[in-house]
Amino acid sequence: MQTETDATQANPFGYPPPVWQRFNAPARAGRFAMDTPGVVTGSAGSPAAHSRLQLQLRVADGRVADARFLAYGCPTSIAVGAWLAEWALGKTPAELRGLSLSELRATLEIADDRAHCAVMGEDAVRALLAQYEDAQP
Amino acid sequence: MPIYLDNNATTALDPRVLEAMQPYLIGPYGNPSSVHRYGRAARDAIEAARVQVASLAGAQASELSWTSGATESNNFALKGFAAAHKPGRLLYAATEHPAVMEAAESLRSSGWLVEVIAVCEDGRIDWPRFEAQLASGPVQLAAVMVANNETGVIQDIARVAAGVHAAGGVLLADAVQAAGKLELAPYWTHADLMSLSAHKIYGPKGVGALLVKSHVELAPLLHGGGQERGLRGGTENVAGIVGFGVAAELARAELAQRDTQMRALREQLEAGLRTIEGVRIFGEGAPRLPNTVQFAIPGWEGEALLMALDRQGIAVSSGSACASGTGEPSHVLLGMGYSRPIAFGAIRASFGRGNSAAEVERLLGALHGFGAERPAA
Repeated sequence: MQTETDATQANPFGYPPPVWQRFNAPARAGRFAMDTPGVVTGSAGSPAAHSRLQLQLRVADGRVADARFLAYGCPTSIAVGAWLAEWALGKTPAELRGLSLSELRATLEIADDRAHCAVMGEDAVRALLAQYEDAQP
Repeated sequence: MPIYLDNNATTALDPRVLEAMQPYLIGPYGNPSSVHRYGRAARDAIEAARVQVASLAGAQASELSWTSGATESNNFALKGFAAAHKPGRLLYAATEHPAVMEAAESLRSSGWLVEVIAVCEDGRIDWPRFEAQLASGPVQLAAVMVANNETGVIQDIARVAAGVHAAGGVLLADAVQAAGKLELAPYWTHADLMSLSAHKIYGPKGVGALLVKSHVELAPLLHGGGQERGLRGGTENVAGIVGFGVAAELARAELAQRDTQMRALREQLEAGLRTIEGVRIFGEGAPRLPNTVQFAIPGWEGEALLMALDRQGIAVSSGSACASGTGEPSHVLLGMGYSRPIAFGAIRASFGRGNSAAEVERLLGALHGFGAERPAA
């Protein structure tokens, strides 16, 4: 098992540091228990790139109280999932709509050849918001 | 230092191959179909390479057609055969590469009766079932690979060919993974068609070959230009072909040495794996390539293990390809009768000429660490 110290020292394949940090120690990885109230889920996938991302947000009192993600794919897609789960905390659904692809890419230093991973993240958020709206009375 | 253990996916270009290719990339070499001095020089280079690659399989140069790689070779063999014959029965083994499976399946729409040949849990042909299948009626064409890309399991091609020939058919043996790891001549003796690829033997990507015995009639897939005796139109990839030739020559010359080196690494890895509780090595009971180990560690999905190894700078391959977006386990392991959860656990380490015992130790160290824990989520 790698420690936090290893995480800052290793990165043998030279991933961008913000990707490496989240790939090496992904926070909020996983899913909520089936019966957790207020959970909305959004998924997106890019079969051509062999990757899939599921984002789950637990909304309470109109704001995101907690988040989980599951990523199946490359280190960048894992980092995108972890970043989205972190970024969404405390936001209202309206604020989630303001997700900026360029901000996501800049923050994680995602190069053009992995841009599809960022797009997959955006797609997951959009799918989640669509589900949230459908569930509103 | 990162460690590359995915040599069945592709190999590093041998510097000696690159050196041989360079003049054909930067020099004033012409179109091999041109009759002037430049064209003749390119033609000579292609014909020298034809001898080198054919010799790797103990074949005649006249039996070899260049292609863009093994996918084209397999498509050419199956569809080219189908186009030159009346529709009949086509059999392929459950563990074949997608380039064979999907090309074979595509022929259903042209009236071919396509059937799968069952394999046993160790990856080898299920002989009683195969023999019954052969006895049930004439067969036009069958495809059975020499060695499997995932498990490394080697098929008894002589026995397969005898059965297929007795049923009136011809045999395509995909030798892409076997090349450079096994002596191919004993397989080419029995097969009628054989696929080869340069980039699996330290040659360049984008060049392959199909060996065709003279009694087998194929129709071209690519028309125009009349190259390859009319079998494959298009100006030849001269530099790639030259590189393939040198890679084949080196593979032949260094076969014994590479076998010894890779076999030692495989044995070291397998001995280490067996000390992990519950580890499963696929195809363990069958003869296998000297460089390939496909295995599963209890509690780990292959993809998660692949990512955990990637974090430590070790590149392996997972048996499952997430082609559907939701993840589909290896058709090879499903074909061998393993359940989906077990197939999902598979990862593959495949050694090459650059790997060392110290690298295997590092892989084992990482795996032993994982064996003691289960991944989160």
